[in-house]
Amino acid sequence: MLSFLNRYREPLLVGALIIVPLISFLSRGGRGREPNFLDRSVLALSSPLQSGLTLVFSGVTSTMGGYVALRGAHDEAGQCRAQLAEAQAELNTLTEAKAENTRLREVLGFVDQQSGPTVMARVIGLNATPQFQSFRINRGEEHGVRVGMPVVTPKGVVGQVVRSVGGSADVMVMLDPQSRIGALVQRSRVRGTVVGAGDGQKMLLDFVRREDDIVDGDVVVTAGTDGIFPRGLKVGTVKGVSRPTVGLFLIGQLEPAVDLGRVEEVLVLPVTELSAMRAKEGSR
Amino acid sequence: MKGALMTGLALVLLSVEAVLVRTFGFEVTRIDVTVALIVFLAVRSTTIEGALSAFAIGYLVDVFTGRPSGLFPALGVLVFLLARAAAQLLDGKSRLGFALFSAGATVGHSLLAFLLMWLTSKSADGRVLSLTAVPAQALLTGGAAALLFPLLVKIEPGEREPRGGLA
Repeated sequence: MLSFLNRYREPLLVGALIIVPLISFLSRGGRGREPNFLDRSVLALSSPLQSGLTLVFSGVTSTMGGYVALRGAHDEAGQCRAQLAEAQAELNTLTEAKAENTRLREVLGFVDQQSGPTVMARVIGLNATPQFQSFRINRGEEHGVRVGMPVVTPKGVVGQVVRSVGGSADVMVMLDPQSRIGALVQRSRVRGTVVGAGDGQKMLLDFVRREDDIVDGDVVVTAGTDGIFPRGLKVGTVKGVSRPTVGLFLIGQLEPAVDLGRVEEVLVLPVTELSAMRAKEGSR
Repeated sequence: MKGALMTGLALVLLSVEAVLVRTFGFEVTRIDVTVALIVFLAVRSTTIEGALSAFAIGYLVDVFTGRPSGLFPALGVLVFLLARAAAQLLDGKSRLGFALFSAGATVGHSLLAFLLMWLTSKSADGRVLSLTAVPAQALLTGGAAALLFPLLVKIEPGEREPRGGLA
């Protein structure tokens, strides 16, 4: 036995390295597992790294912007270059601060409308694999962020928390093919399910009957029936409806209300009463 | 030790990539930088060391997805073995060869990921993810591999004779 193991050590080890995770994947699908000690350690190591890199990258782009502005000032007014550069740099900072201020005011206005406690978070990095559309935020378990919580901006729905550890959490955005959101068309009150198309750009409106009233430009909002998202949050706008000759349902394409690739600050909302009730029932 | 270095490098590169994608947005096709590292291991390391490193790199990718499911560690080792077998026929030791090899491996990696995700998708209607971005992804990964080549050669300058598969 020992000689057999010794003789086929390499193929056995390599085979195990493929088969064990593959069985785990095939048994769970794309749902993923709860973070273990090793996952938490890797995340604890990478989250500060990502936060630091985000700061450095923002600094570099800001400096480059300042440099471009400085060159323009140099061409236009050579002898006032130094003063203009200083003024320009200050203006850059103020413009950025103003933009941030506007965003935060919108967020605060939105927070006032929410009933439960909310957590505001910054996006520190986007998931680097094309198969899963998610991003990481700088708030986690220690700030009250829990798996299943809805994530939004004042402009509309972003996604849902799929993992929360110490100081960071991962959010599956609604573009992900595994994302499902109960929704309704604001104008005609037609109900459907919003599903990520998987191309990183659009979503599909599923389970809507062929004869239902949906046209291009219709606004789609959350229905509040999924037990995750509160009712009435903007999900997106209909951009293309096709009614196949066979089948019960039409195919509607949606453009997200939020530019999910460039979102900077988000709000993590408390779970709705319905999902809290479900969680309670599940723990019994 | 070199395996640990490659895994550490993968962690840094994934973090950098996450920040870059944040800046340029989701619509930007991602560079599959870990595939380039796995191809490099396939061409230059021993079977056990390379397979373990490919597994570790895949595990990192899995953790970075937010929903670790075991898909990427298995794919990492699988791509490592396929690239190792292909190294018998193709030249992956020169900079250009390595870039082309990495681009090809990216296509293989994406197709395998698509197939496995399609198999486990409840709807199974081909909507699990789009394959339209794969050519651009392969091209970008090839470019990134060419840029990374000098750094990788410093970590692992030795060249092994390709023996293919598990040999």
